[in-house]
Amino acid sequence: MVKFYSQTDTYNYPFAAVTLAYFLRYPNPHATHVLSTDTISRHYDPATQRLTTIRLHLKRSKLPTAVLKLLPRSLLGASGAGDTQSYILEKSVVDVREGWMDTESKNLEFTGVLSVVERQEFRRPTSEAERELQMWQGMEGAARRHGFIKFEGTGSGGIEDSGESTEVRSTVTLHSHLGEKWKKRKTSHADDANPAETEEQHEKEEKMGFFKSWSTASIQRSIEAIGLKRARRSQPNAKEGMKVVLERLREGGLVAVLEGMRRDRETTMGSSHGFKSRHGHGSRGDGEE
Amino acid sequence: MSASLASECNEVKERYDNCFLKWYSEKFLRGTATSDECEPLFKQYEQCLSKALKARGIDSMLKEARDDNRENDAEHMRPKR
Repeated sequence: MVKFYSQTDTYNYPFAAVTLAYFLRYPNPHATHVLSTDTISRHYDPATQRLTTIRLHLKRSKLPTAVLKLLPRSLLGASGAGDTQSYILEKSVVDVREGWMDTESKNLEFTGVLSVVERQEFRRPTSEAERELQMWQGMEGAARRHGFIKFEGTGSGGIEDSGESTEVRSTVTLHSHLGEKWKKRKTSHADDANPAETEEQHEKEEKMGFFKSWSTASIQRSIEAIGLKRARRSQPNAKEGMKVVLERLREGGLVAVLEGMRRDRETTMGSSHGFKSRHGHGSRGDGEE
Repeated sequence: MSASLASECNEVKERYDNCFLKWYSEKFLRGTATSDECEPLFKQYEQCLSKALKARGIDSMLKEARDDNRENDAEHMRPKR
């Protein structure tokens, strides 16, 4: 059982600017729930001129009440109200010569409950005339017309307005593996009964009892449906966030983007005040189930 | 700039991020980059961050996810044009 969401959009900005905005999209006024962004690895291949980046985002999230009702707390590691922080791993590859950027983001935790994989494909549209021109002039000439970004914004703006746009196709895949992993574990436990694992096994059996009382498949379907609803709601938000960053880039170059980020970061920190860290909560559950 | 998940790495992260943005917009996007000029700064940032990831127990989770990624890469991350 897998649910799938897909959408195509156009940004009225040149491809180069869109890729830069992607790297600079957090924080923005539409994503104050993003607490941090770190680059885990980055690789530039001079031969292909491709840049591969892996980043780790920490987001504050609130699990929908509907999901909370479906799950035992011990499985979630969240507080009773569903406040939690989650890590998102993002990988991107940019090829500026060929004009594409592919990205993939996925949650690192709760993947057993619901794994969400979000992919975006950014494309620089090429016309027949352009392709021909590239052939004659070489790629550098073509790249020159694709909107350069000045590091320091001037009064006239940070991006040359070339009237170009960038196409993006976003897909979100939702898959609940609920109950699957642990069926496997159950079998292996039957083979070797290690006394040290008795307590752990006992806990698992409690969960088994919970799942038995439901149809696992129907819970999976429900969770995927809730996830899909969330994805539909968050996608326009994500696009608005990108647009804010692109607008800042156009108005005042990178300096304006960084200044905007600084303000948004203050907002983020302000709103996270009073939010308890995930580790402070009973991640082992409150024994309510 | 976005914050690091480890506040003790914020300073070195900011230095790296600034370097990267300059390199990315002035060289990479223009197709004139010959190497990643910010690598020395990244190494410093990475050193700070890897300690923080380990202390928070995120490193093993990351490794698992990246191993998974490698398997999927061939399928999803190839150019499609």
